[in-house]
Amino acid sequence: MTILVKPRALFIGLSLLCALAIWLSLALGPVSLPLLDTLHAALRLAGLPIAPDGLEQAELIVGQIRLPRTLLGLAVGGVLALSGVAMQGLFRNPLADPGLVGVSSGAALGAAIAIVGGSAFGGLPESFGPYLLSVCAFLGGLGVTALVYRLGRRNGQTNVATMLLAGIALTALAGSAVGLFTYLADDATLRTLTFWNLGSLNGASYARLWPLLLVSAGVALWLPRRAKALNALLLGESEAGHLGIDVEGLKRELVFCTALGVGAAVAAAGMIGFVGLVVPHLVRLLAGPDHRVLLPASVLAGASLLLFADLVARLALAPAELPIGIVTAFIGAPFFLFLLLRRRA
Amino acid sequence: MRLSTRVAALCVGLLVSHYAAAAELPQRWVSAGGALSEWVSALGGESKLVGVDTTSQHPESLKALPSIGYQRQLSAEGILSLRPQILIGTEEMGPPPVLSQIRNAGVQVELFSAQPDLPTLQGNLQHLGKLLGAEEQAVQAYRRYQEQLEQQKIRVTKAQLTQPSPGVLLLLGHAGGKPLIAGKDTAADWLLRQAGGHNLATHTGFKPFSVESLISLDPEVLVFADRALTGEAARAALFKENPMLSSTHAAKDGRVIELDPTLLVGGLGPRLPDSLKKLSDGFFPGSAGK
Repeated sequence: MTILVKPRALFIGLSLLCALAIWLSLALGPVSLPLLDTLHAALRLAGLPIAPDGLEQAELIVGQIRLPRTLLGLAVGGVLALSGVAMQGLFRNPLADPGLVGVSSGAALGAAIAIVGGSAFGGLPESFGPYLLSVCAFLGGLGVTALVYRLGRRNGQTNVATMLLAGIALTALAGSAVGLFTYLADDATLRTLTFWNLGSLNGASYARLWPLLLVSAGVALWLPRRAKALNALLLGESEAGHLGIDVEGLKRELVFCTALGVGAAVAAAGMIGFVGLVVPHLVRLLAGPDHRVLLPASVLAGASLLLFADLVARLALAPAELPIGIVTAFIGAPFFLFLLLRRRA
Repeated sequence: MRLSTRVAALCVGLLVSHYAAAAELPQRWVSAGGALSEWVSALGGESKLVGVDTTSQHPESLKALPSIGYQRQLSAEGILSLRPQILIGTEEMGPPPVLSQIRNAGVQVELFSAQPDLPTLQGNLQHLGKLLGAEEQAVQAYRRYQEQLEQQKIRVTKAQLTQPSPGVLLLLGHAGGKPLIAGKDTAADWLLRQAGGHNLATHTGFKPFSVESLISLDPEVLVFADRALTGEAARAALFKENPMLSSTHAAKDGRVIELDPTLLVGGLGPRLPDSLKKLSDGFFPGSAGK
C-alpha cells in the first residue's frame, strides 16, 4: 500500500479538520444564533470576562446543549475508531470491527434488559433510575466480551480464530435474547429499543459525560503506546513473539481496551455503526498501515467524522432529529462496498 | 386637551392591562401528544400551536406544522428553535435530560396523564383550559364528553339485554401484512370493552398470532386498524395478505369494522365517543341507530 500523505501533513490536516468540526458543532444547530454571539458565549464559557449583554440564550444553548454534545461526539467517535484499529490489528483483518468480540451485541442485550425489564427492578433507588440503561449496556458489553475471550483461551494461549468464531456464536445468542425481549416489549419500550439501536448524541449532559471522557482518555492514551507491538503483530503471531513482543499480553490489552472503550461509548450514545470499521480504513488508505500513525490519526478522524455526522443528524430534519446511526451507516455502507470491490479488482 | 390626554391615558392603560393579562398565558405552544394536540385544537387553541410531534395526526391541518419528531426522542435545540413558551406532552414524553434542558431554557413544560379514564381527562381538560384561557370551553367539552360516554354505556347495556356480547379480535397492521392482535392491558382492549365487545385474545400487549389460532378463536366481529391504508383499500389488503381470515364468522357475515389506529395512543381524545358508537353499532347490529 502506498503512502499518499506524509504523517506530519496528515496530523496537521486532521487536527484542522477536527477543530473545524468542533467549531461547526458549537456554532450550528436548529436554533440559529449569530456567529459572533456563539463566539462570545464560547469565550465566556472558557472563562474570559466578556459582558453578558443579551448572551443568555446563546450561552445556554452553547454551554448546556451544544458543548456537552460536542464532547460526547468527540469521545465516542475517537474511542470507536481507536477500538476499530485495535480489532483490525488483533485479527490481522481489515474487515474486523469492534462488534466481533461481542461488545456491541452484549451491550445491546444489556440495554434490552434495562429497557424492557427496567420496571421489574422496582427496588432500585430513585437516583439510579436514569443511569440503569447505561450501566446495563456497559456491563453487558464487558460480560459478553469477557466470555468470548475466555472461550478463545486454551492452555494459556489465546487462539484468535477460535475467539472470532466464539464472537460470532455469542453475537447470535445475544441477538436471539434481544429478540425475545423485543417480543416481550410493549409498543413504547419497543420504540425506545429501536431508537437506542440507532444511537444518538441527543440529550447529552455533563453528569453522564464524565465516566465516558475518563475511559476514552485512558484508552486513547494507552493504546498508541502499543503501536510498535501492533506493527510487529502484522507479521504474524510467532514472528511478533520472536521480535520479543509479549503477544498474549498484547491480545489481552487490546480486547480489554476495546471492551472498556466501546462499552462506555455505547452506554453513553447507543449503538453507532460503521465508525470503527470505516475510519481506520480511511486513514490506512491515506497514510499506510503503520500503527504509530494509524492509532492517533484514527482518533482525530473518528471524532471529526462523528461530529460531522451529528451535524447532519441534528440539521437534516430540524426541528426533529435523525438518529446518528442512520447517518454513519449511510456514509459507511457504500464505503464498505467500495472497499470490497477494490479488493476484488 | 386635558380631557383628551386623560382619555388617551385611559385607553393606553386599558390596552396595557389587557395586553398584560393576555401575555401571562403562553402564546406559542408545542405539543408532543396526539390526543393533547386534538384537545388544544378542540378548545380553540390551534392557531397557538407552532410545532407538534409525529403522533399528532388530527385534525388534518396539524400535519402542516413543523414536526418535532417522536415524542420519546425529542431534541432540545430543535424545539427551542421554534421559540415556544410552553411544551405539553404526556408522561411518555422524553428523554428526561432533554426535558430538563428545555426547562432550563425558560420554556414551561407541562406533563399530562395519558391514563384512559374520565377523572384524568377532567383534570387534563381543566389544566389545558386554564393554560389556553378557555376554561369555560373546557368545562363544556368535558360535560359533553361525559354525556356521550354515559349514553354509550346505556346503549351497550340495553343492547346486551337482547343480544350477547360478540367475540371480537382487534388486528393492528401495516398495509394488511402480519397483523398484531390486541390483548389485555392495551388501549385497544379498553375500547373494545367500552363498546360492549368481548376480546377473545387473552395475552397482554400486541402480539402476532399464527393463522391457525386466529381461525380457531373464530371471532364474530373483526376490528382492524391499519397504519398505512384506510377504507376499502385497507380491508382488501387485509384479506389479500391473510386469505384464511375469510373463513371466520366475522368475514362470512361481513362484520369487519375499521378503526383509526391513532385512537389507540395517547389517552382519551375528542374523537373517541364517535368511534365507540361506530364500534358498538357494529357489535350490536339490531340496535344500531337507536
